[in-house]
Amino acid sequence: MKFIARKPREGINVSDVHPLTEAGTLVFGLSVIFAAIVLVLVFFVDLVLTFVSSETEVRIFSTWIPDDLISTEADDVRESETRALVERLARHWPDSPYKFRLEVSASETPNAMALPGGLIIVTTALLDRVGTENELAFVLGHEFGHFRNRDHIRQLGRGVALGILFAALRFSKGGGSFGIGIADLTMRGFSRKQESDADSFGLEIVYAEYGHVDESWRFFDRMIRDDYGNSDLVTYFSTHPSGGDRIENLKFHARQHGWPLTGPTTPLTW
Amino acid sequence: MSIYFELFVNFGIPLLVLMVAYFVGNAIEKKHFREIRAREEKVHGFPVISFATLPPDWRVGSAELVTGSVVVSLDYFKRIIAGLRGLIGGRVKTYEPLLDRARREAVLRMTEDAKARGYDAVINVRLETSRLANARKDGRGTAGVEMLAFGTAITLT
Repeated sequence: MKFIARKPREGINVSDVHPLTEAGTLVFGLSVIFAAIVLVLVFFVDLVLTFVSSETEVRIFSTWIPDDLISTEADDVRESETRALVERLARHWPDSPYKFRLEVSASETPNAMALPGGLIIVTTALLDRVGTENELAFVLGHEFGHFRNRDHIRQLGRGVALGILFAALRFSKGGGSFGIGIADLTMRGFSRKQESDADSFGLEIVYAEYGHVDESWRFFDRMIRDDYGNSDLVTYFSTHPSGGDRIENLKFHARQHGWPLTGPTTPLTW
Repeated sequence: MSIYFELFVNFGIPLLVLMVAYFVGNAIEKKHFREIRAREEKVHGFPVISFATLPPDWRVGSAELVTGSVVVSLDYFKRIIAGLRGLIGGRVKTYEPLLDRARREAVLRMTEDAKARGYDAVINVRLETSRLANARKDGRGTAGVEMLAFGTAITLT
């Protein structure tokens, strides 16, 4: 038998694809897939929620308070005063299906939340930071806006749906965290839209109460000054529109409706 | 500053590691392929075959077991891309050159050894792989794979 030596052939076992092409295709393709999954989830959650009326929601959650709420002392003047303000502001939204409840949470992060059943939670850090009643009124009005657009219950539904998706992704090998990241970023786009809508309603409430919208955006001013971030990059990665953009939008909105940008402000009692 | 730092830690560092892994991994791979081709050229003409039985006209003088083994591991870039691929399935293209290098390197080591010891051919060549260890405590991830080539080196009379 004659042995004929041949050189090994190249390219039989190795695909002729540049690794960066492979990476780009996968990253882009999977981003599209995960964004689509999130869009479908959001669509279905919104669809289901049209069958849950505000009245049903109020009935279910009328006495509900989150377990992890750290209450402040019972005679806290900030709490009673804010409660009174909520009641006053609620009069400007007479057909609201909610009977608003306010709880103050002891926390070092300035924040306010709208929760199912008309529950508004503000943190002590926020109450310590606001300078005037007008400023606080806008924050509360903004939360009213979430209730009016039913963002709070939508957020809950989306949270549950995304939670299931994330859990499934965590079980999958390797790329799970990538999917979670993309889904999360897609979701943030929705959140930013919700925040802007809530801002508009908050401004309407403030105007109805005081006859002007002065001090409404003071809180965002403070957040920017305290360096909670205002760059384009940070905006992209955050759930809320950046402070500067929000202020501009608010001013524009006020001018459109002819609401005075200045007026006498009401000091806080604490 | 804190939010920028957070962004840097969450997105910047992994991206930086990914880029370094890609450039370093790619350079090493290219160099290795060049080396493999050059060495294959040197042992060109030396019979390395997978016959288990000898052709009838071959007369064997002596025989010995020869082996060539190589352990390969993934770079971070390949691992991440393969992870993404794992979500939808398909050919894990980033692993292919890695395993091709391993196969050829193992066969080369075996062949070079046989040639250095004065043999004329290696017959009954087989390739085997074994997973060495898990990269993570939960039993997932691969730290490395061994590629083993072995065969019978013979002298012909």
